[in-house]
Amino acid sequence: MISRRSMLRTGASLAAAATVGTPAISHAQTKTLKITTWGGKWGDIMKATVLPVFEKEFKCTVSADQAFPFMPKLQASAKNDPLYDVFHTNSNEQWSALTEGLVMDKFTTKEVPNVADVHPWSVSDKIVGVAIFTSAIGLGYRTDKGLTPPKSWKDLADPKLAGARGGYLIPVNSLGQCHLMMLGKVYGKGLQDLDAAYKALEQLKPIKLVDFTGQMEKMLLSGEVSEGVIHDSGVYRYEGQNQPVDFASPSEGVMALEQVLNVPPGSKVKELAYAYIDYMLRPDVQKLLAEGVWYSPANKKVKLDAKYDAKLLTRPEKVATLIQPDWKWYNARKDDIDARVTKILKG
Amino acid sequence: MSAAPKRRPFDAGSAAYLALNLLLVAFLLAPIAIVVVFALNPTPYISFPPVGVSLRWFQKFFAGSDFMNALALSLWVALCVLVLSVVIGGACALALARGRLPGRTFLTAFFMSPLMLPAILTGLALFQSYLLAGIGRPVWGLIMAHTLVAVPYVLRTTLAVLHNFDHRIEEAAAALGASPTRVFFEVTLPLIRPGVFAGGVFAFIVSFDQFPVSLFLVMPKNETLPVVLFNYMKFDLDGAIAAASMVSILLALSVVLALERLIGLKAYVKL
Repeated sequence: MISRRSMLRTGASLAAAATVGTPAISHAQTKTLKITTWGGKWGDIMKATVLPVFEKEFKCTVSADQAFPFMPKLQASAKNDPLYDVFHTNSNEQWSALTEGLVMDKFTTKEVPNVADVHPWSVSDKIVGVAIFTSAIGLGYRTDKGLTPPKSWKDLADPKLAGARGGYLIPVNSLGQCHLMMLGKVYGKGLQDLDAAYKALEQLKPIKLVDFTGQMEKMLLSGEVSEGVIHDSGVYRYEGQNQPVDFASPSEGVMALEQVLNVPPGSKVKELAYAYIDYMLRPDVQKLLAEGVWYSPANKKVKLDAKYDAKLLTRPEKVATLIQPDWKWYNARKDDIDARVTKILKG
Repeated sequence: MSAAPKRRPFDAGSAAYLALNLLLVAFLLAPIAIVVVFALNPTPYISFPPVGVSLRWFQKFFAGSDFMNALALSLWVALCVLVLSVVIGGACALALARGRLPGRTFLTAFFMSPLMLPAILTGLALFQSYLLAGIGRPVWGLIMAHTLVAVPYVLRTTLAVLHNFDHRIEEAAAALGASPTRVFFEVTLPLIRPGVFAGGVFAFIVSFDQFPVSLFLVMPKNETLPVVLFNYMKFDLDGAIAAASMVSILLALSVVLALERLIGLKAYVKL
């Protein structure tokens, strides 16, 4: 995990870069940029380094909202005066927001120049706006329970794991939703084969379900579950802490959990919003956050330290294992899926 | 030689009643016991039996500026709500119980209505109203929102006291020459005080623990403790949450005990 000293050192280099940077917007007036952002370690790095440097370079103030839920707040505010200027959330919510006309579709390199350097997954047709990082959703497991490290998603159905496997409340958690789609691919004809997915989900019972990924981390750490669906950063963040947990990328591929930035069309500071997204895609900012929270960076030019490079999705062969779900398709069926999975997993 | 005292015959009904009460007490206290164990256990996850006793999560809680700012804001908001709801709720109760108001039943239901609505809807509706009015999400807006959901508690407890109130005492004071103001401050208020302040205690606790209404109304860097804890839990589910819960429980308990010492809530309990 990144140390406080290296965070400060990187912050200093970011500040130095800011003095020679070429900002695309006018610096004449102080503006406020309203953004959404995560808490936890991510929030700590943002508050300590990333946002202060941005504020200094662009002579603005950033009002960062970490209090969920972001989507209903954006929906409740006027479209011509949205509550946020930059909407950071996962891909499934970005698609919902696009459907309601709350965010933009794509960015050009004119608006966000660093988009020219990103991996294809960052701006693929499965993405609204631009993804600045991704995690890999796979299987986390205990290394002290005599388990063979999982190689396939099917390994989660091993009868030995009855009552000791972990999943999510699918209606409220996008990792659970990804897992459901993956069951369709592994046991049926593809990600959209819901009948096969429902049948496979039934076979996973008894399974312990949680709302948040943080809860899954703790269940793995405490040994309450021996194997569960989780994103790689949720396991790698404990590296060096002598915890008996590891992450496995199943052979069928890992699902993408993207961190996506977007801009509501009615933002009054759109240029500043574009500048912020461009800043978040800069290699030095990407490296700082990627190594701080174990997220795979979107910018191809980022050079991570060896231990991060070995595990995160930076090289082409690893990036090729990433599967991006079609959230537009999923969201259109979400109510029916929620009703069905709730019935299957009830009790 | 005196006869041995007779053993009381086994009473199955009393035993069942005692068992039920013990079960209820256990049901109420078990979550608090779990919180205590989690707060004092040094592991970064819930484990039983605990592996030791540590104050590391309390240290993390008290050293975290986000937690401390949120705690200070929650206390400030709860104190303002206590005062406002006591004044507004007390005055409303007096008007409803004593005044000859047309549509009194409707007005009582109207003032109690914030308790009928899901609090999350109240929060969302206020959030939208504030944005439409162009006032944003100031702290005083949060205080107003909490007051809205806290007033019914003061209203209910004060109305309960006024229901048993003997008006002849006030009439006697007036007949002896006391002005209406003097009658209010020296006769009425002392008699309804337990009900008003019991409502005030509820108002404080309702505001201090308020989550659904606050969820939409807090501003970045100006978040109340329950909102900060909820967001913290999504990323770092460790013992700091339990330590914060312990601090909240102790604070709420302190307020109740302080008010009991100052104004004697037992008087209300006896009613």
